[in-house]
Amino acid sequence: MINFQRIVRRREFTVLVLILILSAIFSFTTERFLSVSNITNLLLQLSGVAITAIGMTMVIITGGIDVSAGSTLGMACVVSGYLLMGGYSPFLALVLAVLVGLGIGFVNGAIIVWGDVPPIIATLGMMNLIRALMFQTLGGRWISGIPPACRTIGLGKWLGVPIPMWIATFLIIVFSYFLSYRPLGRHIYAVGNNPEAARVSGVNLKSTIIFVYALTGALAGFAGLINAARTGIVQTNSGMGFELDVIAAVVLGGTSALGGRGTIIGSLLGAFLVGIIKNGMVLLNVPALSEGLVIGALIIISVLADIIRARRETR
Amino acid sequence: MKRDIWDTIIGNRVFFLSLLFVILFILLSFTVPGFLNLYNLTNMTQYGVELGLLALAEALVILSGGGGIDLSVGSMMSLVAIVIGVLIGRVGLSPSLAVVIGMLTGLAAGLFNGLLVSVGKILPLIVTLAGMYIYRSLALIIAVDPQFGPNPMPVSNFSKSFYFIGQYRIGGIPFQVLFIFVPVLLILHFLLSRTAWGRKLYGVGSNETAATFSGIDVSRVRLTVYALSGLLSALAAWVITSRIASARPDIGTGYELQAITIAVLGGISIQGGEGTVGGVLLSVAIITMLNNGLQLAGIHQIWQLGALGLVLIGSVLLNQFLIRRRKI
Repeated sequence: MINFQRIVRRREFTVLVLILILSAIFSFTTERFLSVSNITNLLLQLSGVAITAIGMTMVIITGGIDVSAGSTLGMACVVSGYLLMGGYSPFLALVLAVLVGLGIGFVNGAIIVWGDVPPIIATLGMMNLIRALMFQTLGGRWISGIPPACRTIGLGKWLGVPIPMWIATFLIIVFSYFLSYRPLGRHIYAVGNNPEAARVSGVNLKSTIIFVYALTGALAGFAGLINAARTGIVQTNSGMGFELDVIAAVVLGGTSALGGRGTIIGSLLGAFLVGIIKNGMVLLNVPALSEGLVIGALIIISVLADIIRARRETR
Repeated sequence: MKRDIWDTIIGNRVFFLSLLFVILFILLSFTVPGFLNLYNLTNMTQYGVELGLLALAEALVILSGGGGIDLSVGSMMSLVAIVIGVLIGRVGLSPSLAVVIGMLTGLAAGLFNGLLVSVGKILPLIVTLAGMYIYRSLALIIAVDPQFGPNPMPVSNFSKSFYFIGQYRIGGIPFQVLFIFVPVLLILHFLLSRTAWGRKLYGVGSNETAATFSGIDVSRVRLTVYALSGLLSALAAWVITSRIASARPDIGTGYELQAITIAVLGGISIQGGEGTVGGVLLSVAIITMLNNGLQLAGIHQIWQLGALGLVLIGSVLLNQFLIRRRKI
């Protein structure tokens, strides 16, 4: 028998209910919310967040954070933008975008592990360094007019659903399985719950941590390629603030910033929640300015709710 | 013997920073034209004030430990700047009243952060990240002038009396250095090194459990620190709006990174409980000088942030290296 109480108590359930309520409100109050073009648009926009959130979920489960994801996405945009403009195959652009992201993520992990530098410091520094390098590579110009033939990965559809969303779905399934059933996946939870106990029981702390940052970088790089292909434009500020959307999605999805708890599905739902709020506010003509207010308040409310619930359960 | 000398040089933070300052000063004097003259040197100090105030805010928060960090200082600065701007420029309040309300706004924002951290027991990183979103968004909303459509607008019609703090000088020394930065620095130095509150702060930062058992109200110390951070950000907002004669809702963007970098470079241990105001002062001087040098040399502003990123990682690496060495 299914234990309904357990399902209802999960964060994922609460977020799902919130998404349904908001969708209902938006579809009654606006005409365009349920239109095909709007939903396609919504899915396109949140697929990048959903893909990067896979890695960020693991980073936060280990008790860390990666604020350089936006810059990493931007750098991958630059690299793939140049390659696509230069007439190279989109596949090469994909490989290099992922490699650039992987490299940045690996450096993050290496600084954190071998230099014993707190994750917020390492990735904050990296965020600005990469942004400056991006500026240097672009030389103050921007890339536009990527040939339409190369933009399938960002704009194409299959069975009516945008290709980026298919990719996100595929990656989410693979990594959810990985996180729940593979040894390395379980190690990630162990490191977040109790690093000392994990170390004693034979988990390689250092390589686990480097792995999660490298993976986040690689996924942000992948999202960068999709972003460049979708928008067709790369600027110095591409991906600025993207990391906040990803972190918001992960935290809203129930991953505890104290480490040790969280699921990728939760983060996907979090990404949907953030995406729907942004989308609905645009449709309702609420100024985009209050977006930050709503997302910030939601983060605080959801974390507070968790803490209050935890206190009640321990009593 | 040789190793001992190196240890004292790197191990004594104030000495190390002084040395770095002197080396950078000489380097910039020789390589950057226009750097070494009295006007540039006194002029430069005014740019250091806003950064310095935010760095001190960050230093206090990080000192209090428990993962203490304030990512919202830049957004609080934006919020207060636009509150002051709108009150003077659109509502027509007198500058002094507007500034007082601005300070209270900053204090309130800081208190909100502090309550969530100390009473709500949420991680500072999450609280101030959410705070960053919220205050930035509020600043943008307040900046909207319905007369001119739905977009946030900067305010710049101030009366002349508002400019005294940011643009006047005595004997070449900018007002904001003399009447804001130096007093704040002295007060904080006194608080941290000479008062019971300062000892409590170090105690809470270095060992929370021990502090609790010795009867220190940990929550209250942390609450105060975040509130002070809001107040210092508000002061920075006042100074910068007066200096550039304009209140922009995005004025604080990116300042949090610089503030954290300066605090950490100044020897504030990211784990809390270690560091001094003097170290932060030296670090402010170094970063201000570096920014000024890069600017005079015509290097794009984005590289100031890039260089800061490097300095940030480098200085923490050095800190951790020293801690490890001490343990051996």
